[in-house]
Amino acid sequence: MHLKSAYEIREKYLRKDMLPTIFCPGCGIGSALQYTLRAIDDLGISPDEIVWVSGIGCSSRVPGFVNFDGLHTTHGRALAFATGIKLVNPDLKIIAFMGDGDTAAIGGNHFLHAIRRNLDVTVILINNFTYGMTGGQVAPTALKGLKGTTAPYGQFENPFDIAELAVAAGANYVARWSVFNYLQGINSIKKALQKEGFTLVEFLSPCPISFGRRNRMKTAPELLRWYQKITVPLAKAKKMPPEELEGKIVIGEFADRNRPGLAREYEEYKKRAKKMMGWEE
Amino acid sequence: MKYPFPVGRSDFIQGDEAIARAAILAGCRFYAGYPITPASEIFEAMALYMPLVDGVSIQMEDELASMAAIIGASWAGAKAMTATSGPGFSLMQENLGYAIMTETPVVVVDVQRGGPSTGQPTLGAQGDVMQSIWGTHGDHSLIVLTPATVQEAFDMTIRAFNLAEKYRTPVALLTDAEIAHMRERVYTPNPEDIELVYRKLPANKEEAQYPFGDIHGDMIPPMPIFGKGYRTYVTGLTHDEKGRPKTVDAEVHERLIRRIINKLEKNKEDIIAYETFDLDDAEIAIISYGTVARSAIRAVKLLREEGIKAGLLKLNTIWPFDFEMIEGIAEHVSKIYVPEMNLGQVYHLVKEGANGKAEVELIPKIGGEIHTPTDIIERVKRGV
Amino acid sequence: MMMQIRLAGIGGQGVILAGVILGEAAAIEGLNVLQTQDYGSASRGGHSIADVIISKEPIYELMVTKADVLVALAQLGYDSTKEELKRDGILIVDTDLVKPDRDYIGAPFTHLAEENTGLALTVNMVALGYLVAKTGIVKKESVEEAIKRRVPKGTEDINVKAFRVGYEEGLK
Repeated sequence: MHLKSAYEIREKYLRKDMLPTIFCPGCGIGSALQYTLRAIDDLGISPDEIVWVSGIGCSSRVPGFVNFDGLHTTHGRALAFATGIKLVNPDLKIIAFMGDGDTAAIGGNHFLHAIRRNLDVTVILINNFTYGMTGGQVAPTALKGLKGTTAPYGQFENPFDIAELAVAAGANYVARWSVFNYLQGINSIKKALQKEGFTLVEFLSPCPISFGRRNRMKTAPELLRWYQKITVPLAKAKKMPPEELEGKIVIGEFADRNRPGLAREYEEYKKRAKKMMGWEE
Repeated sequence: MKYPFPVGRSDFIQGDEAIARAAILAGCRFYAGYPITPASEIFEAMALYMPLVDGVSIQMEDELASMAAIIGASWAGAKAMTATSGPGFSLMQENLGYAIMTETPVVVVDVQRGGPSTGQPTLGAQGDVMQSIWGTHGDHSLIVLTPATVQEAFDMTIRAFNLAEKYRTPVALLTDAEIAHMRERVYTPNPEDIELVYRKLPANKEEAQYPFGDIHGDMIPPMPIFGKGYRTYVTGLTHDEKGRPKTVDAEVHERLIRRIINKLEKNKEDIIAYETFDLDDAEIAIISYGTVARSAIRAVKLLREEGIKAGLLKLNTIWPFDFEMIEGIAEHVSKIYVPEMNLGQVYHLVKEGANGKAEVELIPKIGGEIHTPTDIIERVKRGV
Repeated sequence: MMMQIRLAGIGGQGVILAGVILGEAAAIEGLNVLQTQDYGSASRGGHSIADVIISKEPIYELMVTKADVLVALAQLGYDSTKEELKRDGILIVDTDLVKPDRDYIGAPFTHLAEENTGLALTVNMVALGYLVAKTGIVKKESVEEAIKRRVPKGTEDINVKAFRVGYEEGLK
């Protein structure tokens, strides 16, 4: 795989007047963004055919930095807004840049129902186990024992596995990587962008400032090394007993199927309605 | 174009049905909703009609999502609507604020029922007045319409879309359980006789660079909808004329918020609608809106028969509010009565408008029954 | 001229549909008309009331306050609303099913429906026909047009037939 220089990607796709970004040193959002832009570039999709949507959080600022149509909405609701955009103009491709809290806490229900409908959208999920923007509160993905400002003695609740949730709810494509797995990441986003229906690529993404500092990992390299330690490739995980997988995070491709997307289903529904009412043959 | 209901004739239909038909004739092609009494019939009619006119009707997971979906639809270029009742309207306040901040034309119907909370699902009320105006946080403005008959529900739905498009703003249509379910004769005009307004689009790429800029001097920026190559960025954060977040710049914030409010305030004459009955020589004024205005009209007629010079101001919009007009009325009458199916909401606006020039008295009623003309007449007579 | 008409029965008798059709007929004639309804939460067996107000003038009322005409198809319907009928108002009843305690007119509507259409369900149309013949509030033709607009496709003929049976009965 030939990789263009990051400068070239930046020149081509970012809004210069919005730089610098709000992201802290060592933040993983820029990496996930770069993979997404590289995937778009490799596939040769025109930016005029893509709308970026987001909710609230660090990752949700991404639509402001990329030079595309973008809708930066309310906390957790990006996919509900996206439903309106997609059904009105099915020719548009939608990328939702979302955080863990945005997706699985305040937006949990929208997330599940968008998948149930098989809304045509590619979700790039930044999972950093924390609410970075508001100062390091625990996220619904935080593993037991991890510290945040709202669980200063270590998280006592169970975490959500968002990728597993997406598989169970019926998403067409689901993959999870850490931002360290850049080739797999880019390839997954490319696959996701080419599919109809709901597609999700989750990234474990370092947040040294709000998360790492409170969990004895003050720098991005420390966090990446920790990811290396806690992640298990899917093929290997399948052979491991459940107790060994305690506290681990499985990475890989979890779903790859081709059920019809919402936009196509609605087109069919319109035809059915007209036929049933005798408006069309 | 073919319509899934009769046009160019009178029909005998419910308020909810009238709103759905009017929306489709107004060009609405996206409806998102969540079932709720007494607004569900609007959704059911939309579900029946929309696929036939190549529009979208979709049942969302809740009212938060319904409101979100119609805003997304509007940015994709469609005229869009949702309808709900009090409990759902509460949930919509979040994204109603987003629609105000991002100047997104959408229509929200609130079929009022008794509240707070689940309250009286099947009974009419006017308890959502203040919520419709001030329900979302922050300084803001929007347009609120108040029909009193099924025909008005029809006509005002079309007007709601026209105002939303003209001023790039959300518009709330406040009906109630009474109007929702009563049937009245409604004239549906031929579509070619209905005047429709469409949002101002950018004339070129240069104009499209300012999705939130007063580039025409009318305070209403053209709306660069998605998918046209404009690369528009829309955010609920405080933003400058180009749409770039400027969250700590006081000047940018003030310029944006004042323009959003002023584009409606400075166009009050165009937006505000009302009717008067026997008001010219009235010594006593009744100010009313929505369903209750029907009883108020009857009360005025009966009071006149008894020699009491009563007159009525029937408000067809309750926001923006014409405080000056109320003061003008207050200068010529001895007393103003405000019958409302709540414990005093528009009353407070009227009192502020009257500015001490006339005594303002509330005639409240809650519990689900509308004021009878007698309720109003007795209170007026007590004061005479 | 304003006429307040209340139709009262029990759920399943089609009282509200009769009210809607009467209202539609008035609308077809360009009259002002309003129809509201009240029914218990049970979809079958509870009381069911349809109010229709027809007027040449604008209508400000929202429900029948003093009925000029009360059509009662069941004792429960009659009992729950008889107070709303004006002293000099017209009471129309199904004479098999309602035993009124005041002056009335009527016919065995349910029986007539069964006898002429084979369907007791068309009792609402029989009663509507009788009401229209007795009051002349709307034209027979307008009601027949309204029936065609409002009843399920394929049932127009049987409903019009039931309406005519009631209408003829009312002319007697």
